[in-house]
Amino acid sequence: MVLPTLVKSLKHLASKPYTRLVPRKSNPFKTERIRGAHVLDMLKCTGCSMCQQVCPAACIDMVSVEGNYPQNPRRRFPRIDHSKCTFCGLCVEYCPVGALSMTTVTGYELFTTNKDTTFKQPLQLKEPLGRVTVTKELFTKAYSGGALSKGEATTSKGEE
Amino acid sequence: MEGSGYQVVYFGPQHPGVPGNIAYKLWLDGDRVVKAEVVPGFLHRGFEKMMENRTWEMNVAMSYRFCVEDPDHLEIAYSLAVEDIYKAEIPENAKWLRMIQAEMGRIASHLFWSHFIGGSIGLRTPAYWAVAAREEILKWFARISGHRVYHNLSVPGGIRYSLPENFKEETTRVVEFVEEKARDVEEALLGNSIFKARLKGLGKLSIEDALNLGVTGPVLRASGLRYDLRVHAPYLNYDKVRFEVPVGASGDSYDRAVVRFKEIHQSLLIIRQALDEVRPGEPLRVKLGLTAPVGEGVARVESARGEYMIHIISQGGRKPYRVRLRSMSMPLLTTVVDHIVSREEVTIADFPVILASLDPCPPDLDR
Repeated sequence: MVLPTLVKSLKHLASKPYTRLVPRKSNPFKTERIRGAHVLDMLKCTGCSMCQQVCPAACIDMVSVEGNYPQNPRRRFPRIDHSKCTFCGLCVEYCPVGALSMTTVTGYELFTTNKDTTFKQPLQLKEPLGRVTVTKELFTKAYSGGALSKGEATTSKGEE
Repeated sequence: MEGSGYQVVYFGPQHPGVPGNIAYKLWLDGDRVVKAEVVPGFLHRGFEKMMENRTWEMNVAMSYRFCVEDPDHLEIAYSLAVEDIYKAEIPENAKWLRMIQAEMGRIASHLFWSHFIGGSIGLRTPAYWAVAAREEILKWFARISGHRVYHNLSVPGGIRYSLPENFKEETTRVVEFVEEKARDVEEALLGNSIFKARLKGLGKLSIEDALNLGVTGPVLRASGLRYDLRVHAPYLNYDKVRFEVPVGASGDSYDRAVVRFKEIHQSLLIIRQALDEVRPGEPLRVKLGLTAPVGEGVARVESARGEYMIHIISQGGRKPYRVRLRSMSMPLLTTVVDHIVSREEVTIADFPVILASLDPCPPDLDR
């Protein structure tokens, strides 16, 4: 009991401290599916405002952007307030065209001393701040048909 | 009790002895606690009302926010209640996965609790081992759902994310790691003479008192009553797995510790059985319509702290008409603490130990 403990302590004596410099060094807790700051593909977004309607924190609103976007005739794109966002990913899941994705940028990387910078305009959301992790493909497709579609059968009249 | 010569002390909310954002008003005779009165409200946000203003899918992100230690049971209960309104039958695969999620959450919660109980009597080393083991579970959750604490994994209709490629190997690895660490923590805490001396005979609760006060979960089982919703009113696929319900004998703080450590091992047993039944690649989610039918949905789950119940009334819209939550920590924080203090000689040094042994979750009281 004593010897293994001693060996273990000596091993840790030589190791480096676990603390690391932030935000210069990457966070070890980042996985392949971490939900962080958003990316907007402005060539896909149709301005349907589904992301705005589904956001539980009400941090998305639709704003007008100058430019030529043939798929989005009203030129309305989501603006996201990252200080309100809970990063639940519902906007990514419910976007019908897969225009929104999420990246690895979370936590201290979003800290700021100026609150105005947490408001991300559509043009600021265009460039990914980190590696893209969560896209629409990650979410499971709802199964309908066969014996499992009871839920759908009872609610088909209420589809909007 | 004003003007009776007792010293009145506020205990919390910024005190390491209380389990979270909650305060107690204590009446002291010397160092003996004569009366304890809970002072809630530090975290009140009106969750039930907020859920009425959000749609069915948005409420998942709202449903688990009032218990940081054990959010999985809360989101599973909400999903079960909504599926009850829709009368939807979710795929078997999703049921097994929800069981794994729930039991992982229970283990993480119990391990985190052993950190609190160790910290409350100064045994911090095994407490840190427990946090290290919990860390593996949080990383496991992050690999599946993307987040460490609030997972958003169970949604009405099934499971939200597709499974990662090496899901089974990864889960087996985590289960083995946690089993080893939990045994170490158990040995170091339960065998420790200081732990025994401080906890044995402290904060006794008989079965009758526990039932009268509305106590459920490990605290009730430590008093000796074998009552577990997973056995007595099975939800998901709990009737298809084999496990034991550990009970205590005297209902003191030490028994509660023993019951929780035994529950960790039973949960690992359930995870192993459920993991064999998971079929990667098969459907995980059933389609629910945007608008719910008129009706009521009820779900009861055995969370890490006791019975959690959610009752939702739908009037056929995109949002619930009324949501009512039966929280598991309400009796623990209010009546039980005062009951123990009024019947037992409790010193102010033992007060945090009793609070930690009950394992309440203060936000769950405030909501």
